[in-house]
Amino acid sequence: MANDTKAAACLYKQTLLAGLWRENPVFRLLLGMCPTLAVTAAVKPALTMGLSVIFVLLCSNIVVSLMRNLLKPHLRILMFTLTIATFVTIADLFLKAFVPVMSERLGPYVPLIIVNCIIICRAEACASKNNLVVSIIDALGMGVGFTLALCILAGVRELLATGTIFEIQIFALAEKGGWFVPWAAMSMPVGAFITLGLLLGLVNVVCKRKS
Amino acid sequence: MLKIKHFIQQSWLLIISSFFFGLLIAIANARWSDEIEQNRIDKLNHLTVALLPEAKHFIDLDTLGIEIEIEASKGKRKKIKVYKAVSGADECVGWSFNAAGQGFQDKIELVIAVDKDFQKLAGFDVLASNETPGLGDKIKYDDDYRAQFKGAPAGKLEAVRTLDAKKKRSQIVVISGATVSSEAVVKIISNSITQIKKQMQEKGLIGNGK
Repeated sequence: MANDTKAAACLYKQTLLAGLWRENPVFRLLLGMCPTLAVTAAVKPALTMGLSVIFVLLCSNIVVSLMRNLLKPHLRILMFTLTIATFVTIADLFLKAFVPVMSERLGPYVPLIIVNCIIICRAEACASKNNLVVSIIDALGMGVGFTLALCILAGVRELLATGTIFEIQIFALAEKGGWFVPWAAMSMPVGAFITLGLLLGLVNVVCKRKS
Repeated sequence: MLKIKHFIQQSWLLIISSFFFGLLIAIANARWSDEIEQNRIDKLNHLTVALLPEAKHFIDLDTLGIEIEIEASKGKRKKIKVYKAVSGADECVGWSFNAAGQGFQDKIELVIAVDKDFQKLAGFDVLASNETPGLGDKIKYDDDYRAQFKGAPAGKLEAVRTLDAKKKRSQIVVISGATVSSEAVVKIISNSITQIKKQMQEKGLIGNGK
């Protein structure tokens, strides 16, 4: 009995940590590249996108896990899409009602969470095969891992593009007597590709050294 | 009979889920629709004040019992909200109204402002659009493009693709890389403004001066 509890705790820990590092959706699985590149010009929209994805991932994993024994194999993708679309619509309405500035800034990328590979991938790979607790932990691990990756990328880009983080001035601007000259390219798509490439390279180096 | 039984056996979960999820979205929409509408009104007021800085408050012509309609798609008529912008001294300083039309990706909704005589445009801003980020959405922030509308005649406008030395004031040079979206904006403004102006002249709200 004690061994069972220990094994379950070990499984939960491994599931949670997998999303954060070993199977991080952005840096290791390269999933969800569209929002990763598009909404990371600043930390605030990146964080909003991350939290929206956590909500959708958590709700869809819960629903899929609860109905996993009732799913017909040939209709499962349709059920996943229906579930995901529902929670994305609710998240979109919530943002429009309570965070209109962010909703506008994220534009079509909130509705596009419906086609985010991370969510359908977790529904297929985890929630449809595991119990509720494992599905919830997996959703939290993957969601937080995705949000952290987005925030790191956005942090680097915002800092180099404007000298700010969360719109708080970190580097003193040259035009105001400081030393920092804003690097406008970092707020453009080219900045997203360069930063993502460098971070992927860094993660690969760390992983190789660890192994 | 067997076919129906087989259909229900296969899809009962999908049918029940569709109803349940539909209900969930309907509840969320009903619960938050007031906040969403209020945010829309706040944004409209904010944008209109930026276009007509002398305005202190706006009078909705609807509240005065005046209805303005324009021809929307497929010959259908659509009611348009027109606001009279009033200064602190209770003088009319301009007019603003909403207009919408098809863009590249989706519908573009604009707020358009004109001077008190409905002769010149004061400018426009984008109330809602889903144009392609980085391309079509330049209609929101391309200052050169937007500046062309300020002072342009409040009448028929023409979208042109190249900058001509003999460019007329009614010609608007579209944005390279956002041609369809920027042409759509010209079309929406041109269409709505001519129809609204005609009706307002008929109702005696503005003069017939040219």
